[in-house]
Amino acid sequence: MNPAIQSMWHASGSNAGHIRELAVFFGILLGTIFVIVVGLALFSIGRRHRGIQQEPLEGSHLPSARTETRLRTVVGVATGLTVLILFGLTVVSVSVGKIVSASIAPAGSLMIEVTGTQWWWKVRYASDDPSRTLQTANEIHIPVGQSVAIRGNSDDVIHSFWVPSLQGKRDLIPGRPTLEWLQADRPGEYRGQCAEFCGLQHAHMAFWVIAESPDQFSAWMDHQLRPAVEPTDDENKRGQVIFLKSACVFCHTIRGTDAAAQAGPDLTHFGSRKTIAAGTLSNTKGNLAGWIADPQNIKPGTHMATVPIQTAEMQPLIDYLESLK
Amino acid sequence: MTPAASEPHAYADLDLLRQTWSSKRGLFGWLSSINHQEIGRRYIVTAFFFLLLGGIEALLMRLQLAKPENTFLAASRYNQIFTLHGTTMMFLFAVPVMEGMGIYLVPLMVGTRNVAFPRLNAFGYWMYLAGGLFLYSCAFFNMIPDAGWFAYAPLSGPQFSPGKGVDVWAQMITFTEVSALCVAVELVVTILKMRAPGMSLNRMPMFCWSMLVQSFMIIFAMPAVMIASTVFLLNDRTLGTHFVNPAEGGDPLLYQHVFWFFGHPEVYIIFLPALGMVSSIIETHTRRQVFGYPALVLSLVGNGFIAFGLWVHHMFATGLPQIGEAYFTAASMMIAITSGVQIFCWLATLWSGRLKVTAAVHFVFGFIFIFVMGGMTGVMLASIPLDLQAHDTFFVVAHFHYVLIGGALFPLFGGFHYWFPKFTGRMMDERLGKLSFWILFVGFNSTFFPMHWLGMLGMTRRVYTYIPGLGWDHANLAATVGAFVILLGGIIFIANVLRSRGSGARAGSDPWEASTLEWETESPPAPYNFPNLPVVTSRTPLWTAQAERPLVVGVREDRREILITAVLDAEPHHRSVQPRPSLWPMLTALGFSIGLAGSIFAFSWYYVASVLGLIGLIGWFWPERPLEVDQ
Amino acid sequence: MSKRRTLDVSGLPPYDISSQSPLFWGQVLMCLIEGSLLCMLIATYFYLRLSVDVWPGPGVHLPGLTLSSWALLPLVVSCVGSYLASEAAKKNSRSGMLLGLGLNLGLAIVFLVLRGIVWNSLNFTWASDAHGSIVWTILFLHSYDIVADMLMTAVLIVIIASGRYGPRQRIGVHVDSVLWYFLVGIWIPLYGVLFWAPRIIGGGR
Repeated sequence: MNPAIQSMWHASGSNAGHIRELAVFFGILLGTIFVIVVGLALFSIGRRHRGIQQEPLEGSHLPSARTETRLRTVVGVATGLTVLILFGLTVVSVSVGKIVSASIAPAGSLMIEVTGTQWWWKVRYASDDPSRTLQTANEIHIPVGQSVAIRGNSDDVIHSFWVPSLQGKRDLIPGRPTLEWLQADRPGEYRGQCAEFCGLQHAHMAFWVIAESPDQFSAWMDHQLRPAVEPTDDENKRGQVIFLKSACVFCHTIRGTDAAAQAGPDLTHFGSRKTIAAGTLSNTKGNLAGWIADPQNIKPGTHMATVPIQTAEMQPLIDYLESLK
Repeated sequence: MTPAASEPHAYADLDLLRQTWSSKRGLFGWLSSINHQEIGRRYIVTAFFFLLLGGIEALLMRLQLAKPENTFLAASRYNQIFTLHGTTMMFLFAVPVMEGMGIYLVPLMVGTRNVAFPRLNAFGYWMYLAGGLFLYSCAFFNMIPDAGWFAYAPLSGPQFSPGKGVDVWAQMITFTEVSALCVAVELVVTILKMRAPGMSLNRMPMFCWSMLVQSFMIIFAMPAVMIASTVFLLNDRTLGTHFVNPAEGGDPLLYQHVFWFFGHPEVYIIFLPALGMVSSIIETHTRRQVFGYPALVLSLVGNGFIAFGLWVHHMFATGLPQIGEAYFTAASMMIAITSGVQIFCWLATLWSGRLKVTAAVHFVFGFIFIFVMGGMTGVMLASIPLDLQAHDTFFVVAHFHYVLIGGALFPLFGGFHYWFPKFTGRMMDERLGKLSFWILFVGFNSTFFPMHWLGMLGMTRRVYTYIPGLGWDHANLAATVGAFVILLGGIIFIANVLRSRGSGARAGSDPWEASTLEWETESPPAPYNFPNLPVVTSRTPLWTAQAERPLVVGVREDRREILITAVLDAEPHHRSVQPRPSLWPMLTALGFSIGLAGSIFAFSWYYVASVLGLIGLIGWFWPERPLEVDQ
Repeated sequence: MSKRRTLDVSGLPPYDISSQSPLFWGQVLMCLIEGSLLCMLIATYFYLRLSVDVWPGPGVHLPGLTLSSWALLPLVVSCVGSYLASEAAKKNSRSGMLLGLGLNLGLAIVFLVLRGIVWNSLNFTWASDAHGSIVWTILFLHSYDIVADMLMTAVLIVIIASGRYGPRQRIGVHVDSVLWYFLVGIWIPLYGVLFWAPRIIGGGR
């Protein structure tokens, strides 16, 4: 882990980059104003200490007309400047936002549908060609340098799709599709997290966006489109049998087998993913065993059932799942 | 110098006045009191208890977040606690404490004896107390809300938040909203119809202006939250209506629109009275009339109006059409103008006055520093592209704590230092006050400044834990430490209050040599406030020679008579008799409370509330004995 | 003690039954609150309407127009009763107040009966769909306010009839009329929204 993978400050995408520049601009300008205002306040307080000749006030409780006029001018100028600055900031903001935050993706964008559901991410690569639509979960691969449209929806409550290193966020609202576009400038692995409170395990609803070269992306896509790797050794075959006869099939799909349920993440190429349980644990055999044995322990409240797997059956099952590269 | 007001007064019978205006004694007296000073103090003390509860909730949250993957609080408990924290601070502390200050100070500042509707005032307090008790009693029944202080549908709906927790939250809002509306109605009428003769609107103290604008904002904003919480959410949950339920034609965004239509003005409802306090403190301590009175008034009014046009900036991430959203960017930036003008006027006053730097002024400086920083981050958040990164992260948490604590809490604490002598007749300790300021200032910035960075580094809000390695660990720990420093500052502040009550230096009527009418009364003021109602000939009555300020005579002292004046120029119009103390407001509140509490279980309890409330209201308005017969 | 100038207000009346009375202002503000609430519900109606194509849902009949339109008659005329009572209160005419309040209450009862018939004939409930929810809510809240005011009027009648009343109660009669005018007045746009708007905008069917 390092901060650059989930940070708007360490922008690695074109949109995030523009936003960062905007933030710097706003920050410097507004920071300067802050320093001036606070400085004036401090100076006023410190003034009396320096024995500056102050005008007598007692009678009218007002300084001289000259001072009042001067103050009026200064306050008037300051107000005018404030109006101009804010107007300028509005214009800059709207013009940056027009492209960067638009709900229309540039032509030729790769179209990905993301559906938030408590507490993981359904990912579907849309395509006109049905044989090239891909259903996966929690991990999104994109080609560097190409715009990607994220079309968002939700199965249950409001979630929010946010990968700060690449782009601002977009809420996923049931019954109301939303859209934003992003583009990675360089290869890398970027972590995103749900950014709208969505219940018990909102804190453990993360995802990965893996940006790779167009060739690597095509290769990944082609591989993902194939059905699941058939188990070759006995251990894995046994694991497949265990999977297919347990309650796992009520929720999960492994293309190429009879398991075709959609309630939980698609596991066809599960072994190739970085993490388990929507970014909660890294994808290792030990973690997987812990997750399957007692999901409530890792993510209390998760909708994943606690499927009873005998101790003897756990190792083959895990080997099989991890073999699904 | 003004003579001590406790001298026997040549134009008023003080004993008779005291007899007429005092509350009764004992428990009965306490329950039936309609004295605005007593009710104002009750609001403030009760609000402080809720501040402590909200503070404890915050400390629990910070303890959980001090390190990654902490197990101090389970997810469900954390979600309940952050819900309670926000709900308590917003509904049970911030608005009521400002209302309490208004109820106490406004009649004194405008020169009258009580608020316009004294029994309604009592009723409003009991409803507030009932609401707070209702929310917190749910803890004993395991019905704690956990969908956030804003409770977005469909998460807060029947399908995803089963149980009674969110119902409790939704109905509690009815209690606090009724209370705030009562106070708003009363303050508007007090300010517009009961000002001292000669106090035309352009001679009214800035604090009264801020309470006037705030009260109108409450009148237009609070109904929306009742609709969002009770009509939409509670009914969707308990009656099967389809307002915000997407499955049958409802719309989650409808909830957000209506909630934030209230929610944005709500923060200005909290903020505006504080601005009035800042004006008061600055005017007195600089020994000069506050600079730019017309600009200050127009800015307050402008703030009040513009605040209603900003709400969509809470919804920039929902994918609404950008053209519409851009309007809200412009409006959100524009409101910085009205706030900015006020800051400039205060700076001008500070610059050109003979400033005496007391503890109250320290808190005003804290306000300038912290609120202006919050305002700057607010301008950043008004920009859609920036907001789309910062929304729902700790950056926003930092922003709103800066504007709320800087903009409301620091002025409030300054106001306590300033008005404590009036409330109690004793001065708060200056050294302890300054110490508490510095500790609170340092603690506050240590807690919340790192959160700007946390947000930019990708830490989302409302998370009960986080993974290590993302650069969030140190900032979170610093924030937790800072929270305990705030606790220390708060303890010192409260210790100062408690100690000064008992053994602070005695204060006369006007220890600060201030300009406004409340400083002409005794400290604390007699139940009748002024022996004779004052007449005002300038914006700064106490800085005007007494010889030029007539006293009102001819208002009867053997019954609770007040003077009604005209709206614009405060010409005396007629006298009016106020009702006497009564148990009925409390009983009416009790009746409504029983019904509202039951209503989360069955709709028929609304009818119980209505019947009990009707009985209470009949008792409340039944002609008093002896009757006020026509002259 | 220094001598102070005085302003003698003993010549001013000890009460006033007009728009200058604080109770009047309080009532106007209460009407503003209620009005904000009901206007927000009107906005909600259109928000819900404009986000779907078919309104109301299939199988739902729009609320009947005839009887609800006729019901406007007793409602508006009842304001005459309020006006008479209010004027009588200013003149301290006991019989006038009773006449006015009685006329108001009687016609209000007629209105309520007619509304009850219209309401009863609706073929949808609050739980049918979004249309049902908003229509029932608006009807319920407005009716609740009407009934509350009618009860207030009834209590005033009892108090005035008993003869044990003073200026405060007469101000109450005057202020009661303000509330009634508001409730009648706000019903006009609400009626327009509930009964006419769907027919004018169309339901897309």
